Amino acid sequence: MSTHPALIAKTARRVRMDNRFDVVQDPQSRDTYYMNMGPQHPSTHGVMRIKLHLDGERIISAEPIIGYGHRAHEKMAENRDYLQFLPNPSRVDYLGGMIYNVGYCQAVEQMLGIEVPERAEYIRIICNEMNRISSHLLWLGTFLMDLGAFTPFLYAFDDREKILDILDRITGSRLTYCYARFGGLSHDIDDTFLTQVSGFCTYFTDRLKIYEDLVIGNVIFRERSIGIGTFEQDLIQQYAITGPCLRAMGHANDVRKDEPYGIYDRFDFEVPTQTDGDCFARTLVRMDEMRQSIRILEQAVGDKPDGDFVASKVPKRIRPPEGDHYFCVESPRGSFGMYIVSDGTDIPFRMKLRTPSFSILSAMPAVMAGTMLADTVAILGSIDIVVPEIDR
Amino acid sequence: MIDDKLTPLIKDTIDVDDNARGFHAHYTALANNLPQIAKAFHSENYHLEMITCQDRREADTVFRLVYQFNALGKPQRHLIHVDIAPDATAPSITSTSPAADWYEREIYDMYGVSFDGHPDLKRILMEEDYVGHPLLKDYVDPPSPYREDSKEGEDG
Repeated sequence: MSTHPALIAKTARRVRMDNRFDVVQDPQSRDTYYMNMGPQHPSTHGVMRIKLHLDGERIISAEPIIGYGHRAHEKMAENRDYLQFLPNPSRVDYLGGMIYNVGYCQAVEQMLGIEVPERAEYIRIICNEMNRISSHLLWLGTFLMDLGAFTPFLYAFDDREKILDILDRITGSRLTYCYARFGGLSHDIDDTFLTQVSGFCTYFTDRLKIYEDLVIGNVIFRERSIGIGTFEQDLIQQYAITGPCLRAMGHANDVRKDEPYGIYDRFDFEVPTQTDGDCFARTLVRMDEMRQSIRILEQAVGDKPDGDFVASKVPKRIRPPEGDHYFCVESPRGSFGMYIVSDGTDIPFRMKLRTPSFSILSAMPAVMAGTMLADTVAILGSIDIVVPEIDR
Repeated sequence: MIDDKLTPLIKDTIDVDDNARGFHAHYTALANNLPQIAKAFHSENYHLEMITCQDRREADTVFRLVYQFNALGKPQRHLIHVDIAPDATAPSITSTSPAADWYEREIYDMYGVSFDGHPDLKRILMEEDYVGHPLLKDYVDPPSPYREDSKEGEDG
């Protein structure tokens, strides 16, 4: 046994940590008790703990405890220049990596007023929407597996693999993409890519029908999702809920429509909504979103012009004008915002990443109070959290 | 209208160019007015989009809290700068905007700024017994216990 003071402190802390993970009877009451869900639990989709105060199987209060995956992305941003931070955004949310990567480039382009060539804008849209479908597919598979359905997981991952292969061929990575550059892209696409994307669109339109037959009508799934985890309308204003969770409550708000970035205003697509705000409504919204993404993809592949894939006049040193800047994009989980403060040098003075899952998870105590323990899994799965995005 | 309600509460208006900045109105305000500002925004159906902080102790000897409110639909982002002295506290707006709960905890965790009236001000991203505030500009990483160990020849 070591006598080093740092090791003694570490051992003491480990003992304290272990004690916190027990199921503890509430000292105030004989009938209620505390239980930890996580941090190593398959349906928290990452390392996160929820401290549940239970009365039998009914939740009295739930407190999410986060930070296990904190990687200090915001501190990193203050210690490197704009280009060196480029690989980071796709690691913040690894399921929407392309959207975050492109979004960060668009934020810097907005600050510097860089014009992006048409061709690059179209390719970005194609990659973004492919990424959105792959994120929704992973959500569909894991959410249903949380609810006990194993088959949809295999179907969804099979299709997701097709997207990853297409994107892998062109970007060089399968998950944490670093394809966009300030002013365009790192390299051009070829015709095979376009053939593959349009082939995927045709294929996936049929597959979506299979998913709906397989899942939406399933009686077990309906029992476990209809009327479960309903978000009250007040939560929107109280917690700034965005993304599919907001659209499942009857509000057709989407960053791509409300403040179109890139060239999203040229595409004809709808913002799907549902009114109930429960787990079932969120599922339907995401299913419809995949269909709308296919619509965007078909238009983008058809219209894509020739030309440059990167702007010719991008400054060698990125020095944005002094002051505050905000840029937001629609990630698969909601509005992802980058708040960047420049002091005129080539290193950001402050970069705040406003991630959608952080806001939605902070509303969980209000949603979960009064529900049953087994519904925790359904609620957490249906809001599609990605824990590294919350911890940053 | 939100502008009329804000006029008595703000200190100064900063001109912004929407297209280059991404937000539409920019103010500075005093910390005391924060609860009224939050109430004014909430009464006009705005929501709190984020709170963050900047460590400006070196240049201006202040912490700058940044509040951003937005409305659903056509975005109307209002950015509010609140400068506070390094040893001062700011009033919490949790009672009006529950979303502020986690954001204020994060600022407390990362900068050490305290909020008066917050129901449960504790660390959020770092562990409970962590010492120091990582996003301060003068923050120095504590020496790693693992490296000390290896110097002494323990644990390989």
